Amino acid sequence: MELTGVGRRHGLRGPWILRDVGLRVPRGALLRIEGANGSGKSTLLRLLAGIDAPSTGRITGRPRTAYVPERFPAALPLTAAGYLTRLGRVHGLRRPAAARAALEWLERFGAAGHAHTPLSRLSKGTSQKVAVAQGLVGRPELLVLDEAWTGLDAASREILDRAVRERVADGGSVVFVDHDPRRLAGHCHAVHRVAEGRLSAVPAVPAASLPRVRVEAVGTAPPPGRLPGDPLAEDLGGGAVRLTVAAADSDALLRALLTARPPWHIRSVSAAADAPEEPRP
Amino acid sequence: MTSLLRYRAALLLRSHRWLPPLLLYVVLLSIGVRPGEPVLSGLGLAAGVLLPVSAWLVRVCVTDEPPAARDCVAAAAGPWRVHLASVLTALLAATALGAAGTAAVTLTGHPHGAGRLPAAGSGFLAALTCALVGTAVGALCNRPLLRSTARSVPATALAVLLVLIPGGSPAHAAMSELVAGARSGTAGRPLLPLAVAAVFAAGATAVACALSSRR
Repeated sequence: MELTGVGRRHGLRGPWILRDVGLRVPRGALLRIEGANGSGKSTLLRLLAGIDAPSTGRITGRPRTAYVPERFPAALPLTAAGYLTRLGRVHGLRRPAAARAALEWLERFGAAGHAHTPLSRLSKGTSQKVAVAQGLVGRPELLVLDEAWTGLDAASREILDRAVRERVADGGSVVFVDHDPRRLAGHCHAVHRVAEGRLSAVPAVPAASLPRVRVEAVGTAPPPGRLPGDPLAEDLGGGAVRLTVAAADSDALLRALLTARPPWHIRSVSAAADAPEEPRP
Repeated sequence: MTSLLRYRAALLLRSHRWLPPLLLYVVLLSIGVRPGEPVLSGLGLAAGVLLPVSAWLVRVCVTDEPPAARDCVAAAAGPWRVHLASVLTALLAATALGAAGTAAVTLTGHPHGAGRLPAAGSGFLAALTCALVGTAVGALCNRPLLRSTARSVPATALAVLLVLIPGGSPAHAAMSELVAGARSGTAGRPLLPLAVAAVFAAGATAVACALSSRR
């Protein structure tokens, strides 16, 4: 998905909240958006999620999207499982699959006991678990999280961290805002900052100093097309390859190799001790 | 779209917010239509009563979730599809109500030579016309065009009066065709008003859906 020259203001004459925003959200990317309160972070996330249309500029290549708000006072006349199943159906799942996914996510967040509780009677924390689960239930190609961790207990925050990494490893993109600067640190592919209505990239930690992982794999067929994380490949002979990749991308790389047809055999996975032979772009 | 319609229908049914417009319909019908009256004039009145009721149902359907929940569905399906599903749910509910009302009035009224079945047919066409005009009014007088209750409720009331009382609106044309039919004893087919009303409703809904992500 790509935003080109995107601006947003309320009405026809309101002040600009965002101006001239350009952002590319590649598949399998984890992006963090930073900014002070009221800087327009939430406005940007709403544009990314497709809830609001830009006042100027274009958004192209929208994938199937899910959005998780910070507060979810869901005074809806549905049970937690009923709501999640319906949202799964809206995401295109068949009824049994949607019902199964709804229960699975409630279980993962330890809220399976509330599956049949009406949403209006849930506690604030459990409501937020339902909000997060509705974002994950349809396995969206783009997940937009607006401080979704706020209101969750410590255990659920970790589960959400893991779910986000899984989504990214699975080829989905995730864009998030969170006030904890350590949230998913080391896993983000890029960080952007909103200030005075403009978006700018925060210089990343130099790639060479990031931890890297070395994967040795043997396969009969050539490795599948473009591998996650754009690994540095060395041919070891006999069908074996050594792939060196940023640690953040290693899960996605392993998954791609193991799910290739025919699957690759992983010979070893180790931390790369020395700096990579050539700097990553 | 089917899954969205089911979601909206579940919200409408389980919230019980359909109850006040239904009561309005039943009360106005039972005051206005007496058993034994000419069936066509009764059906004309029943159709007119459906107009404010369907505008109210649109209001119920486009305002029945907290904004956070609406944002979640809007991200999943696109805001205009979500809005379209809300308006369609209201129109379907109004149509069901109109069908039930038409049946009740046809069975209790006196046919006066018009024949019950043809009378019911034209009564239903008129009811559908008024449901469509009411839907158009509801779509234009609520979110996203008018967002505060202080504006949207008086605007709805005014718009309902405007399309119901003077000639020129398809709702009024359909109703007067039925009333004229009651005098002459023939059940007309108000198809032209129905077509105009359908265009009205489609246009109004398109405007509302197009604006659903703009404000």
